[in-house]
Amino acid sequence: MLIAGDLFHRQPLLRELKEVDYLFRSLTRTQVVLVAGNHDYIRKNSYYRTFSWSENVHMILSGEIRFVELQSLDVAVYGLSYQKKEMKEPLYERIQIEDSCRYHILLAHGGDEQHLPFRGAVVDRIGFDYVALGHIHRPKELVPDRMAYAGALEPIDKNDQGKHGIIRGRLDERGCKTEFVPTALREYIHMEIEVEEEMTGFALHSRICDEIKKRGIQNIYKIVLEGFKAPETQFDLGHMDTYGNIVEIVDHTKPAFDFVKLLVRNKDNLMGKFIESFQDAEPDSVEYEALCEGVQALLETKRG
Amino acid sequence: MRLLELEIQNFGKFHNKRIELQDGVNLIYGENESGKSTIHAFIKAMLFGLERGRGRAAVRDTFSRYEPWENENYYAGKLRFECDGKIFCLQRNFDKYSKKAMLVCETDGEELSVENGDLDMILDGLSKASYENTLCIGQLHAAAGQTLAAELKNYATNYYVTGDSDINLTAAQEILLTKKKAEDRKIKQALFEKQKKRDMMEQEASYIWRDIHHIDGEIESVQAELELRETEEADKSREDEMEAEWGKRRITDILRPAKWRIHPIEVAVILTMIILSFTVIPGPWNSFVTVIVALLGAIYIWNRMKISKNKVKTEPEQLLEEFTSEEELVPTDKLTWKREHLIRQRMEKQVEYDNLQEQLQEMDEMGSEYRESDRKREALLLAVKRLEEVSEDMQRQLTMRLNQRTSEIIAQITGGRYDRLMVDGELHMSILHDGRCVAMEQVSQGTLEQIYFALRMAAFELMYDEKHPLILDDTFAFYDDVRLARTLGWLAECGHQVIIFSCQKREEELMKRNGIHYAKTIL
Repeated sequence: MLIAGDLFHRQPLLRELKEVDYLFRSLTRTQVVLVAGNHDYIRKNSYYRTFSWSENVHMILSGEIRFVELQSLDVAVYGLSYQKKEMKEPLYERIQIEDSCRYHILLAHGGDEQHLPFRGAVVDRIGFDYVALGHIHRPKELVPDRMAYAGALEPIDKNDQGKHGIIRGRLDERGCKTEFVPTALREYIHMEIEVEEEMTGFALHSRICDEIKKRGIQNIYKIVLEGFKAPETQFDLGHMDTYGNIVEIVDHTKPAFDFVKLLVRNKDNLMGKFIESFQDAEPDSVEYEALCEGVQALLETKRG
Repeated sequence: MRLLELEIQNFGKFHNKRIELQDGVNLIYGENESGKSTIHAFIKAMLFGLERGRGRAAVRDTFSRYEPWENENYYAGKLRFECDGKIFCLQRNFDKYSKKAMLVCETDGEELSVENGDLDMILDGLSKASYENTLCIGQLHAAAGQTLAAELKNYATNYYVTGDSDINLTAAQEILLTKKKAEDRKIKQALFEKQKKRDMMEQEASYIWRDIHHIDGEIESVQAELELRETEEADKSREDEMEAEWGKRRITDILRPAKWRIHPIEVAVILTMIILSFTVIPGPWNSFVTVIVALLGAIYIWNRMKISKNKVKTEPEQLLEEFTSEEELVPTDKLTWKREHLIRQRMEKQVEYDNLQEQLQEMDEMGSEYRESDRKREALLLAVKRLEEVSEDMQRQLTMRLNQRTSEIIAQITGGRYDRLMVDGELHMSILHDGRCVAMEQVSQGTLEQIYFALRMAAFELMYDEKHPLILDDTFAFYDDVRLARTLGWLAECGHQVIIFSCQKREEELMKRNGIHYAKTIL
């Protein structure tokens, strides 16, 4: 089992390390290799420094590239642990493989500018049989079967959309074969709901419920309302969360004004001029919103 | 649009009354209470319908006012009018049971639907309010507590600022600003929530901080205790050494083996002395002395036993004994273990504390919760600002065009006495007479009426391309004959259908005298 950093979001407590070590120990046929990432980096008083792991757990504590040999598997796992929050040197690109084992795996964390930047192609050329990557929350394969971000086990932020899980791989004489295994219990889903002009608040509510039922009520939703609603319709967005799994509802609907008709009818008065002054507004811009608000206010206060 | 024929089937006092209207000037003459206002209301009701008020308001509303005097369930009328060269016939039933409206185009026989907005289409967006504000011209009515000049200004201002006396700029802007305030509140709420979360985290951190201090204190006391014990131990060993040195000077101590409290020789000596004192000293004293010697010997032995058993405690030692609880009277090993445990605990707490601090810091960096509100707020402000700009712009243009047209009409009516209306940026109006500015407040009521008339006519021309009928209801009461004649002349040539309601013969005489063609209806 390869853990490519950030096993903890912050500095681990001793009792937490004990818990996780107990879990690792229960894996009787598995060797665990881990490094520290930018979140659980090895601070001077970090428990990582002094903690003694079970026999099957191997942690690379060094801030420079080191490797652990797993004799039984004939594999050397390379890696390093963060000693501070940011490391800007492209250390991974400078690794040289030593011929001590048959297989070589790199356990790397980061990849963006502040966190050990590297170019996939350069690292790929070093000759690792597999590069296990961490740091990015979404699973992502850089080189098929040879280099991939496993992503977070469970989504941890409302923007972590999509499936989450682990990467299971098999490394033998024929090379490496990997597959993504979704293990997360739930996922964040950004759901767009197209609002129609005649839709009432109740209709919208039922629609949202149906969509959530269809996609699974165990998931967590961010809902964006698109389309046009009748100008006088006001949705009560506070009462849409029937299942308790909506984190946010963003209302991007626009009042269904027929601006062309309004403009023709009002071409010489304030409303007409006002509409004209926004002629070049993009449909999603602040200007467009200002146009809608202004016209609505003018219509609401119109005499007669 | 041109009105052709009113057929008042049952409306107010009228029953089956037909009035035909011509192109050009129509004079409807009637004495007081002859029903001029009823006809006026009828035209409005036909064009825009007659809504019933609800509750108490219903008692005095237009509906009740013109409810037919006889046979009130038959409350209906017919209006024929021409628009864009086509003739339409509009039939309305107003009464509550058979309320309906039928519109037929007589020219091509097409049946149209009022509900679906066909009438609105034909009227080209003419609303009831703009009909009242522009098409119908009565006398200038001052609102309570306002001068006529103020009323005139009111009318003009509204028109100048929006180009349509229906549109209420200030109210619209108020709505936008209220909405903006709501968004502000939302943002404030979001900030407040965030602060609350922050406060909670800070509180948690402060609890941990307190724990750390508590542990620090405990470590200190354990440390002090351990140090005390160490020095005590050192003291004790030193004391032992000193005692040993001391003992060297006592012969008995040298003689006495260290582990024995009382040497057997000492016991033997004491026993010998007792026997000797009994045998050597002659009686009766011997028994007395023997007892004394035996007692002395016993005391000595007792003392020796006691000294070894109980070392005398120093005063601070006694105090410490009093104050330290049972718990702390634990072995030194246990204390050392406790100290280590406390240090570990402290470290764990420290990590927890640092993690919380980090979390707090990250909290400051994030903050997209109120982006939506921010955007909305920006949009609302933009709308307010843009309305202002557009209105100013329009005011400038409109003022110019309107002033020009109004000035022309005034000049014609007043025979050139006043030739220009001026409106400044603040919407103060004045009128030019012989190159001199005269404020509105200074002109006579008749002139004010004429300015009002001219302004409305000019606004009407600017607003509608379509020529709608003009309805003048006793508009000319304050006009002198000369100006009235000029006004009537202007009306006859303006190209609109004109309907004049009057209770005086003046208009008719003047038109006759000036050769103005007109159609007359007497009520």
